[in-house]
Amino acid sequence: MSAREPALSLAPDAVDLAVDFAGQPLKSPLLAASGCFAYGQQFAEFCDLGRLGGLVTKGISPLPRHGNPAPRICETAAGMLNSIGLENVGVDAFLADKLPFLRGLGVAVWVNFFGTDFETYVDCARRLSRGDGVDALEMNISCPNITKGGIEFGTVPEVAHRLTRACVEVSARPIVVKLSPNAGDVVAMAQAVAEAGAAGVSVINTITGMAIDVRSRRPRLATTYGGLSGPAIKPIALRMVHQIARALPHLPISGIGGVMSGEDALEFLMAGATTVQVGTALFAEPGAIHRITQELRDLLAELGIPSARAAIGVLQPLPAEAPIRPR
Amino acid sequence: MPAAHFTAATAANRALGGGYFVLELEAAEDTPVGAAQPGHFVMLRGEWGRDLLNPRAFSVLAAPSARRFAILGKIHGRGTARLGALRVGERVAVTGPLGRPFLSPRPGTTQLLIAGGVGLPPLHMQARVAAAAGLHTAVELLYGGRSAQDLVLLDQARDFGVRLHLATEDGSVGHRGFITGPLLARLDRAREAAESVELLACGPTPMLAAVRRIALDRDIPAQLCLEENMACGFGVCLGCAVPVHGPRPYAYCCTDGPVFDAREVRWP
Ligand SMILES: Cc1cc2nc3c(=O)[nH]c(=O)nc-3n(C[C@H](O)[C@H](O)[C@H](O)COP(=O)(O)OP(=O)(O)OC[C@H]3O[C@@H](n4cnc5c(N)ncnc54)[C@H](O)[C@@H]3O)c2cc1C
Ligand SMILES: Cc1cc2nc3c(=O)[nH]c(=O)nc-3n(C[C@H](O)[C@H](O)[C@H](O)COP(=O)(O)O)c2cc1C
Ligand code: FES
Repeated sequence: MSAREPALSLAPDAVDLAVDFAGQPLKSPLLAASGCFAYGQQFAEFCDLGRLGGLVTKGISPLPRHGNPAPRICETAAGMLNSIGLENVGVDAFLADKLPFLRGLGVAVWVNFFGTDFETYVDCARRLSRGDGVDALEMNISCPNITKGGIEFGTVPEVAHRLTRACVEVSARPIVVKLSPNAGDVVAMAQAVAEAGAAGVSVINTITGMAIDVRSRRPRLATTYGGLSGPAIKPIALRMVHQIARALPHLPISGIGGVMSGEDALEFLMAGATTVQVGTALFAEPGAIHRITQELRDLLAELGIPSARAAIGVLQPLPAEAPIRPR
Repeated sequence: MPAAHFTAATAANRALGGGYFVLELEAAEDTPVGAAQPGHFVMLRGEWGRDLLNPRAFSVLAAPSARRFAILGKIHGRGTARLGALRVGERVAVTGPLGRPFLSPRPGTTQLLIAGGVGLPPLHMQARVAAAAGLHTAVELLYGGRSAQDLVLLDQARDFGVRLHLATEDGSVGHRGFITGPLLARLDRAREAAESVELLACGPTPMLAAVRRIALDRDIPAQLCLEENMACGFGVCLGCAVPVHGPRPYAYCCTDGPVFDAREVRWP
């Protein structure tokens, strides 16, 4: 089918949203992104969590972390900066107090995690992957908000490779590596972690940025720099998903960055993502994923695409220009 | 209290001068905001597309019915400017009621409600609720602003029958200077009369810091309603950290507050 040929529209109910990510079935490609969903409970009063494709927890570290001083967030053009400082309850409290709630929801549960050094990453992967109800681990190697170490894990392919291999070896569940857009070559990073046994990659985490209050001559965040999220980063996220999908067509990708509508989600699928995560949009609209899911279903139906699976990676090149001829 | 996310339509939007406005929103059905207590807040966002991404926090001013509630806004930046310009019928997404409210007045203790500028709404509501419960003598409103036009909704406050103490920095109404002047005088009288008092305060951070100092120095219980930048308002982004004493260095303004015990807040 050529990209321009009008396809016959379908009934929205006929569209199949189910996808497979690294061999695991999901009801829909839409997941809640890490750090934007906490551990889920708060959303139960606003929406039916069972209708999500899945969810990714706040990043968990071996020990609890208290996070950064205030102010931790500020709004920017079509986005926001955050430097929460990876505040979390730690592995033990997560497994005991948070996981039981998530396990009962009947949706894919991905547990995001990180360490402060090599050993704590591996320790975290070993323990979290044995949690009852954990479907996959999402390994955060970006860590823009922790100062000690961290940076090389997300930016140097050889280091990411070693770390991924060590975590995959001890993990009882597939590991999806969440890549940092702050790395020089995101394709090289994806390749390095794929070769180390990653089941897929999540692309992208926040992009490091800053904002200044000119009246007080102070940075708007206590840590000066923070991670940019929201629609402002979507074009960059799409480009990175597309580059990785082209270079590594068999590596499952979870696309993330500024998704606010069904059309945004479909862009990520067409660029080559298998699942799509929604983050910042959940703050203003806790039920955003339900709306986006419906919009995606309607849009696929309108475009005559019978399933979410059929949309993955179907991006077509623009037609070539006619060659220049002398008049 | 359970919260809801819903769409409401602008039922009225009244400019009060000085950038203040009272925005009344009405939902098609009953919502839990109808049961909001003083200090509860809502997150509001108009139909702003991909711009001004996060909703804005506002204390509930009044909830006259289970479908309708009002906020008192003051134009600060782009979000409040857009809310202040809403026309009747225009829609707003609402999440609420959120946070932990002020403690209710109790017989035998006088609550001194200390409001600075746009910190008025939760205390105005506290006075309204107290008056409705026949406790108008158990609360007094101390209200300060820059000048006369910063003191709004005074007629309503007078109708509650609660005692009012006013202060303006330019002296155009009431005591000339900060509201802490009348507060100290009132506390001296309370001490002489061995009257039991507690402080409830909402307003600019320097005012809250001054009230906190006074409360700690004189060993008077005080509840402070704080503001922090918020993305979600319901405890998931962890953006609204407030430094506190105790086992954890930070609490969250949106779920642990916005009302905090003055002794708990870890300020210099
Ligand atoms: C619990 C709570 C209750 C509040 N109640 C009221 C009220 O009843 N009436 C009222 O007029 N205002 C109230 N505020 C303040 C109000 O939320 C801000 O004035 C408003 O968010 C400013 O948005 P803006 O787009 O106009 O300003 P901008 O400065 O352009 O906003 C930029 C960003 O900073 C945030 N921000 C700026 N100032 C504040 C602030 N003081 N507190 C929190 N976030 C801020 C905004 O939400 C936005 O994300 C309350 C704040 C909190 C936290
Ligand atoms: C407040 C906040 C906290 C976040 N915390 C985490 C985290 O703990 N771990 C992680 O891997 N990503 C975290 N992220 C990044 C998001 O999961 C997501 O990658 C990013 O926000 C881009 O998506 P969005 O534009 O839809 O928000 C956080 C983002 C925000 C806004
Ligand atoms: S505003 Fe998001 S946790 Fe408080």
